[in-house]
Amino acid sequence: MTPTISVSGLTRRYHSQLALDDVTLHINGPSITGLLGRNGAGKTTLMRIIAAQEFASGGSVRVLGSSPVENGAVLRRMVLVREDQTLPRLRVGHLLRAASWFYPNWSSGLAKGLVADFNVPLNRNTRGLSRGMRTALGIVIGLAARAEVTLFDEPYAGLDAVARQLFYDRMLRDFADHPRTILISTHLIDEAADLLERVLVIDRGRLVLDEAADDLRGAATTVSGTVDAVEKFAAGRAAWDRRSIGSQASMVVSGVLDDDDRALARLLHVSLTPLSLQQLVAHVPGWSNSDPKENQSA
Amino acid sequence: MTAWIKVARYHMADPIAYLVGPWAILAFAFLINLVITKAQGGPNPTKALAVVYVCFFGLGILSTGRSLPFGLALGATRRSYYTGTALLAAALAAADGLGLALLQLAERATHGWGVALHFFEVSHILAGPWYVTWLTSFVGLTLLFVYGIWYGIIYRRWHRLGLVAFIVGQVAVIRVWIVVVDRGHNWGGAGFSFTPSAMRITAMFGALAAVLLIGGFALMRRVTV
Repeated sequence: MTPTISVSGLTRRYHSQLALDDVTLHINGPSITGLLGRNGAGKTTLMRIIAAQEFASGGSVRVLGSSPVENGAVLRRMVLVREDQTLPRLRVGHLLRAASWFYPNWSSGLAKGLVADFNVPLNRNTRGLSRGMRTALGIVIGLAARAEVTLFDEPYAGLDAVARQLFYDRMLRDFADHPRTILISTHLIDEAADLLERVLVIDRGRLVLDEAADDLRGAATTVSGTVDAVEKFAAGRAAWDRRSIGSQASMVVSGVLDDDDRALARLLHVSLTPLSLQQLVAHVPGWSNSDPKENQSA
Repeated sequence: MTAWIKVARYHMADPIAYLVGPWAILAFAFLINLVITKAQGGPNPTKALAVVYVCFFGLGILSTGRSLPFGLALGATRRSYYTGTALLAAALAAADGLGLALLQLAERATHGWGVALHFFEVSHILAGPWYVTWLTSFVGLTLLFVYGIWYGIIYRRWHRLGLVAFIVGQVAVIRVWIVVVDRGHNWGGAGFSFTPSAMRITAMFGALAAVLLIGGFALMRRVTV
């Protein structure tokens, strides 16, 4: 089966700065994938190259089996919604009408519903839109396009919690009816965690994690207690982020814990707190550097 | 609907800027000149018609500098975006050029709108039969639009620094050219006779527009947004 998105050895260099460094990933079929990472990690650059808005310095990108660069047949089946999108000076209604001409699967009904949900002012010029309204407009276009490949780059900048929840609900509802490949980059990892089937983490231009979201949930745990107890519990396990204040210590251990582990924790009087996806992602560089397998065998 | 047509329609989604804008500004300039000519009570060979060319230059900048990123976000290829935009420029120039030619006919028929105002007739450039005026206007408006597209593309590719370099480069080339031609006393050989004909100017504009069109296509191929 041809991957929907296939990226191999992708590199993007800006003068002396390496924005993407030998990134390889493949996304097959309809799914919602989270692209996570810190500011400047290379998320936007990766999405722009996938959408052929930027050029690669090396490696290859294929979308729906072909290179997207100057490929109208691929590009009309893909939409990229960017936080920093420059908009033409048009009324919002005109802009949505123009968008509808470009996408063969455009849903006017969905666009109308989303405009009402997000209170997007159709008669206002894009110059007069607040940040939140611009974001909402991007969401309307990204979802109503029903493109086979939908890329959202930080799609909820400026939206309040209620509007963000509305976005998650509408996206999931439409995804259930019209499955497609959605790649979404975000900082609000825990908020989006339940949506994600797969997690990609980029750090300083390198792909450092590519896992199914279910495999990551409970994949690491913070152990807290006295220094001795925590050390005893962590013995033989991959561990990182060791912290101690006086007689108390905490550290993060990787691996799914079983009943025996929990019994040991009770015996040692240490508390176990599973890492959320956001905490896990924050620890990913440390995790990858700590080389869990090596630690386990030590 | 082809990708070119979609791009042209995208520009025209709000038709005011492209259809109404140049004519509104032209009408304003015309009324001012009409009042001034009437007050002066004599012939007024104004060059205020240039405002419509300036408008086309501005539309060219707008069509790429402002509208290109969203156009590419909608899935247009650079090639289709450029071609659609250039076709729109040619269509607008043809239609507006025809309008200018017809207004020139009206101006002649009314002896300068009754006050000897020569607004739509510009000596040596737009002074021939209506169809030559139309052709010259069409070529000139297309040239200015495509010239504006260049500014938009350069801004998108190399940002403000690129724009400054582009402007400085043009000034330098023109200065060098003037010095070289002036030293050789060869203005006629450089394409300028001192009694230029409309057809000769049209041919020069046409050649320049063709060069800019082809060059703009090459520039657009590596633009990023």
